[in-house]
Amino acid sequence: MSTRARARAVLIPAVAVLAVTAACGSDDGGSTGDGGQIELTYWTHTHPPMNELNEQLIAEYEEANPNVDITYEMIPNNDFGTKMLTSLSNGSGPDIINMDDSALRGEYIPKELLAPIDPAAFGADSVEELEALYVDGTLDGAKGEDGTLYGVPSEFNATAFAINTQHFADAGLDPANPPQTWDDVAEYGQQLVAAGHEGFNFVYLHSGWYTQQLQTLLNETGGSILNEDGDGSALTEPESVEALQIWYDLIREDQVGNADTASREATSPFEDFASGRRSMTMIYPWAVEQIAIDNPETFENLAVVPLPQVDPANPSGRWYGYYFAVNKASEQQEEAWRFIEYMTSQSERWLEDVSFVQPLQGWEESPAAAEIPFLEVWSQAYQQGRFDEVGPHWSEVQDAIKAAIERSIFDGQPPAESLEEAAESVEQSVTS
Amino acid sequence: MALTRTAPDRARGTRARPPGAGRPGWRRRRDAIGLVFALPALALFAAFAIYPMLRVFQLSLYDYNLTSPPVWVGLDNFRFLFGDDRFLASLGASLFYVVITYGPAVLLALVLALGLNNRMRGSAFVRLLYFAPVATSWVAVSVIWRLVLQPEGLLNQTLNTDIPWLTSSTWAKWAIAIAAIWKEVGFFLIIFLAGLQNVPKDLLEAASLDGAGALRRLRYVTLPLLKPITVVVLVMAVIRGFQSFSPQVVLTGGSFGTEVINLFVYKTAFASARMGRASAVAVLMFVLLLMVTFVQLRALRRSA
Amino acid sequence: MSTGAMVVSRKRRPVGKVVVFTLLLAGGLVFASVFVYAALSAVKPADEVLASPMRWLPSQWLWSNFTLPFEQAPFARYYLNSTVVGVSVTLLNVVTCTLAGYSFSKFAYRGRNVLFFVVLATLMVPLEVIYVPLYALVFDLGWVNSFAGLIIPSATSAFGIFLMRQSIDGLPDELLEAARIDGAGELRILRHVVAPMMVSPMAALALFIFMTNWDSHLWPLLVGNDADHQTLPVGLAAMQANNLGSGGLPMMMAAALLALLPTLLLFLVLQRKFVEGITMTAGIK
Repeated sequence: MSTRARARAVLIPAVAVLAVTAACGSDDGGSTGDGGQIELTYWTHTHPPMNELNEQLIAEYEEANPNVDITYEMIPNNDFGTKMLTSLSNGSGPDIINMDDSALRGEYIPKELLAPIDPAAFGADSVEELEALYVDGTLDGAKGEDGTLYGVPSEFNATAFAINTQHFADAGLDPANPPQTWDDVAEYGQQLVAAGHEGFNFVYLHSGWYTQQLQTLLNETGGSILNEDGDGSALTEPESVEALQIWYDLIREDQVGNADTASREATSPFEDFASGRRSMTMIYPWAVEQIAIDNPETFENLAVVPLPQVDPANPSGRWYGYYFAVNKASEQQEEAWRFIEYMTSQSERWLEDVSFVQPLQGWEESPAAAEIPFLEVWSQAYQQGRFDEVGPHWSEVQDAIKAAIERSIFDGQPPAESLEEAAESVEQSVTS
Repeated sequence: MALTRTAPDRARGTRARPPGAGRPGWRRRRDAIGLVFALPALALFAAFAIYPMLRVFQLSLYDYNLTSPPVWVGLDNFRFLFGDDRFLASLGASLFYVVITYGPAVLLALVLALGLNNRMRGSAFVRLLYFAPVATSWVAVSVIWRLVLQPEGLLNQTLNTDIPWLTSSTWAKWAIAIAAIWKEVGFFLIIFLAGLQNVPKDLLEAASLDGAGALRRLRYVTLPLLKPITVVVLVMAVIRGFQSFSPQVVLTGGSFGTEVINLFVYKTAFASARMGRASAVAVLMFVLLLMVTFVQLRALRRSA
Repeated sequence: MSTGAMVVSRKRRPVGKVVVFTLLLAGGLVFASVFVYAALSAVKPADEVLASPMRWLPSQWLWSNFTLPFEQAPFARYYLNSTVVGVSVTLLNVVTCTLAGYSFSKFAYRGRNVLFFVVLATLMVPLEVIYVPLYALVFDLGWVNSFAGLIIPSATSAFGIFLMRQSIDGLPDELLEAARIDGAGELRILRHVVAPMMVSPMAALALFIFMTNWDSHLWPLLVGNDADHQTLPVGLAAMQANNLGSGGLPMMMAAALLALLPTLLLFLVLQRKFVEGITMTAGIK
């Protein structure tokens, strides 16, 4: 940008004096060091067990490849997007990116910030050959509209349901006969409330959480956020309204939970279930371990059961994943993919050490998988999922959905009305 | 009323007058030295504040998603904003926050400063009590206040109410204001205390000997002398208020009608990757604050 | 009777003074109650923090929560980084702001008022957008992931200059003239006449700058990449986002309280300066 260059030409002399003071600081050299040493930068979000495993694997890789130096940087979840965008805005940024599928498909792939996958690094002759190694459809989270593949999963999640068996017993319910539909959840929930528990509730953290839970319901009712062409909203369609209506009825009509008293601590998304206050919750694989650490007593009474369905004959679910990808601006893409190949070749350790599923064909038959509690429920969930919808400026869409849910659930506005308002802003966001 | 004249005379709220024609050479030389004193700050400002600010002004005329080259769109960003409900709502939320938080906070700070402006041992302790909140980071404050504001928390128990403070469109903005007053009072308290040190003790003694009561001394001696600092306080209150970001992020995430301008700017720039539009908001905010500050500085000068 | 004149009437009106003090103390305790609650939460077992209805005292006092941050995160390193940055930024600000405030107040060069207003105007653009071009500049200077990047862009402040200008405005010109007649140079006057009388505002300035910097999150996040260059707020945010479970909450509180100590300490050291000025200024005739 020439204006910037000109502005700098004027300003730099002014700063020069200060630069002397600062000379000590600058240790951020080019990405290729001296003597053929290869330097790679790798960013993930923070999640202590995962961070630890990453550090181990990096150490092993560096030992096996003495010419490679990997700088591993962990960035707090909430700040990941901000930090990444800012660094990419001037062509810097890491070589290797670990990101969730929504961000990849919504932002990074459409904006052409990522390099297509290099099958050779994985010892495959073609992308098809590489894809055949994974469970069908699980790589779609890192594909562009044209089907180009940009990454492989580090972590792949499906949605299930958790119940507190002790609470079930308190309410005279049979834990072996968990709710199969949302109507069941309402009915069981009221009995659990009568027994002094919070029967069921959703999780009220940030717009991403609101949206993913509504999306789970939308997948079941056949509704969607965007219309088929992706240039307008489908939130006012009857199937979509039905999704929010389920939520509304559970909380405001049947009162199986109290949204006002729900914990909103991002430190602990499943706090209410873990603390033993709440009897039922939607759940992801990584949360089971968290509950175990949080409250061993609840963990003892935890049963993972299939997600309740609108139509049990046609079950549906929600998938999301984190993928390894390579920055298109990286000058060492080949080396970056080689490193990623090593990371994914250790899939058993990801499962064993941090309960992350890397959905390679037959993962559920591995010895590590046998250790996973409720494996059959999870592997079922891994069969019937869908990735979330994405579109341009998706964060605005998520904000509009969050606002609509809050108007309905907290302020009591009927779902059809609040979704009408949301539809307008969704339309504005995806078209402007 | 001799006092009314005495105080400003003694205050000599003096700033050197702008240069007139025919200044003697020594005077000009001295003023040149004065300019040199400002240079380190000015150089830093030029590089790290003014240049980025100008860039932001420039970007407000572009569609810029941070990762592709900016595309010129003229005034489109501004046109969009004037019809955007979300932006207008954030403007309203900011106005509410500024008035409801900073009005009480500044008044309270002034009263506290007057009461705590002494060298008693106990006062030092009390000052610390009021100061502690402003020294605490918003991350910590949020964890504490969410406990205080929860339905069965400290506030509802104290007031004997049952208000969903942080989860209703009616109450959330009040809840944030309460927490923010608690946190911000200390900031202005310190500025006022620092300002009070410019009020000469002998002047107050003289006034006292003239038979002026406490309120009179306050009205005719202390407050006039405190004026330069009051200017800082009021200008900073408006600016801090409109630049507010953290309390809303950590307490409600901008839900329930608490998305203030800076939060809107932040989300627009980084979550939606619409840096051009965010820059346009920044420009509008700049113009607004500039006008308010200008009026404040003018009004406060006239009232002298 | 809560006026600045209280010192004067100390001997004459002890009853009023006691009443005022009691009121102020009561208000202060209300303010601090929130704080005490936080401190008590920091030593609670995890499951009691969010217990409802809330309770004040922990069932057992878990002092070990205060060592957890050091065990689970490079908290000591964050602390050191924040201290280095905070102290440097504060010292630089006291110098640059006092110089500039003096310049804007007591000298009459052309364009002075315009310059001052431009400085003030920089306060009026949301920092969040400023950071995008600023990051590009700092990157080009090679200061990303360095202390220079954390310190230099914050080395002066419009608020500080504003505060110092307004405070120096209160100094009588005769005082400066007298020093000049005695043959003192401008720098000497600044050091030996102006600065000693500006101890209160300088102390306030130092406190605010340190505090603001100590609490600053977004810029250090963008500039610091590794633990060697990350500051406390970035570390705290990382801890909070770590899905630590409810066990994380007392630790968060403990970490937040530990993070608060330096600012409180600085306040305790400087706060005497806020009131000590009284006699000094009064002594000037």
